[in-house]
Amino acid sequence: MPHDLNYYLATLAVYFLVYCVLTLGLNITFGMAGIFDFSYITFMAIGAYFAGVAVLPPSNQPGLQWILGLNLGFPLDLLIGAAAAGVMGLLIGLLAIRRIRSDYLAMVLVAVWTIAWSVTSNMIGLFNGQQGLIGVPQPFETQLGVNPNDYVFVFIPIAAVVLAILFTVAYCIERSPFGRALRATREDQDVAAAFGKRTVRLRLTAMTIGCLYAGVAGALTIEFLSAMSPNAWAIVETVIIFSALIVGGRGNVFGAVLGALLVRIVIIEGTGLLPTLPDHPELIGATRNILIGLLVIAVLYFRPQGVIPERRRRYFEARKPAADTSQEVAKGG
Amino acid sequence: MELFLNSIGFGLVTASILALAAVGLTLQFGMTNYVNFAYGDFMTLGAYLTWTLNVGLGWPFWPALFVGALLMAIPVLFISQFVLEPFTRRSGPTFHILIVTFAVSLILSNLILAIWGGDFQNYNVGTDTPINLGPFILSVQQLGIIALAVTCMVAIHLLLTRTKLGKAMRAISDDKNLAAVTGIDTRRITTIVWVLSGMLAGLAGGVLALNVASFDPNVGVTFLFVIFAAVVFGGIGRPYGAMAGALVIGLVVEVSAVFIPSAYKLDVAFLVLMGVLLVRPAGLMSLFERG
Repeated sequence: MPHDLNYYLATLAVYFLVYCVLTLGLNITFGMAGIFDFSYITFMAIGAYFAGVAVLPPSNQPGLQWILGLNLGFPLDLLIGAAAAGVMGLLIGLLAIRRIRSDYLAMVLVAVWTIAWSVTSNMIGLFNGQQGLIGVPQPFETQLGVNPNDYVFVFIPIAAVVLAILFTVAYCIERSPFGRALRATREDQDVAAAFGKRTVRLRLTAMTIGCLYAGVAGALTIEFLSAMSPNAWAIVETVIIFSALIVGGRGNVFGAVLGALLVRIVIIEGTGLLPTLPDHPELIGATRNILIGLLVIAVLYFRPQGVIPERRRRYFEARKPAADTSQEVAKGG
Repeated sequence: MELFLNSIGFGLVTASILALAAVGLTLQFGMTNYVNFAYGDFMTLGAYLTWTLNVGLGWPFWPALFVGALLMAIPVLFISQFVLEPFTRRSGPTFHILIVTFAVSLILSNLILAIWGGDFQNYNVGTDTPINLGPFILSVQQLGIIALAVTCMVAIHLLLTRTKLGKAMRAISDDKNLAAVTGIDTRRITTIVWVLSGMLAGLAGGVLALNVASFDPNVGVTFLFVIFAAVVFGGIGRPYGAMAGALVIGLVVEVSAVFIPSAYKLDVAFLVLMGVLLVRPAGLMSLFERG
């Protein structure tokens, strides 16, 4: 019994770590640059699929069909998944991120999700269609030879190291001149452009970095679960990641992490503990999503900045003490 | 050649469904100046309300469709007045509102799932014999869809050109502040248009579900981006542009099924959407309009 509980908590820890990667990535694309990447989950899926076909051996049997099949090991598949998602994000960004209204961009990105979903489901040769990839080997599974029930304890450090790296990168971006420029384009593209910022390039970079994060999260997901099918990346998943970021507080890395904790662990796992009605198995998921929807509307209305607000930085006051400034004003006047 | 002509017939049916949906979406955009991402779920809700009247209460399909569309007024009024409008009233349409419509979509689609379940459903319409009409082979139901769309488009044209309400709608769509200054009650008109938009979504959802034969709670959402393509094609916020866009996209989608596997036919709409946004984001109809 204690082992079951430990196992459950360890699995939750992995979900949380992976979800942090997702919210941190969306924090760069949406939180900092203000891009409505409503196809965000698509890039998670691309990362997962490409990581999957990088690890899996080639196959073309009926029922087990996928492209590539590179037979590679752990860190490489993660990099391939991330790179594939980043390249796709860049390409779609090149098409979609222009000086068009933000709701046009959102419409295009919703359409991107629909197309990606329809193509993956219908073109069986790509990633095994509706069935999805199955039996993807887990990192270090054979080398360590651990019991499958204990594997989760091997995966926690892997996910933790990846998250630590990505968190540091996100933290640095937030405090860098690049991060400031992103926030400037988010607030007003014209003003940022007037100050010499190349807004399209900035937004494109933010979108690509966000997609890289999503790709890493996808690669970690398929490595942990050994499977990925189109049902795992319905469009509602994007809304849920947005909810997590908005509830936690967008524009800062701590808000992104808190959002992952509140939404992925507290709400999603919390509603999972509700009793199931035998005739209506879908009620739990429906309740969960309705709760998330209500929560995000309530947060946007009553506390739009989220639980942990973005820091308002004061660059000028910090330089001089107040007394000096008043003297200067007196002299100048 | 026969296949090609017949696909044009199906194209007219798809165009009719699209026209109902696209005009509803674009009229609302004209008033509020933001895209309603829950529109696909409005359509699904209309389809299920119709289903309850048709299968649950045993009504014939068409009366069920009209009453279902009328019933749409209640949820749409609730959503627009108690959820969306409070946000716009506070600070004008900011970027929050897109997320809010997405959250509404999440809530609505899961309410539908909780109420009606996730199984596939059909309408009770009996067997339908195809009719040869010149080069086209269409069912009586499909002819009914086309007739409904044509009637609604004429009605909307008359509404926009002949009535005070329609003129006020056009004025608000052109310039909301100017309209308000000239004494138009913009809030009242916006509310009326929300209801109109919801009813059109209900009609469109019902006939879409009828045309695809069996439907589940995703029926509206999967069609949403095709509506976006039609709306953007004609220039968002322009009802006549949406009608033209619906006709073009409907025909392109169905005719393309002659040349590519029909599983991908809706994806062609995406190519048109991208093309229009790259060439002329204001919509191709803006080429033909004055000013």
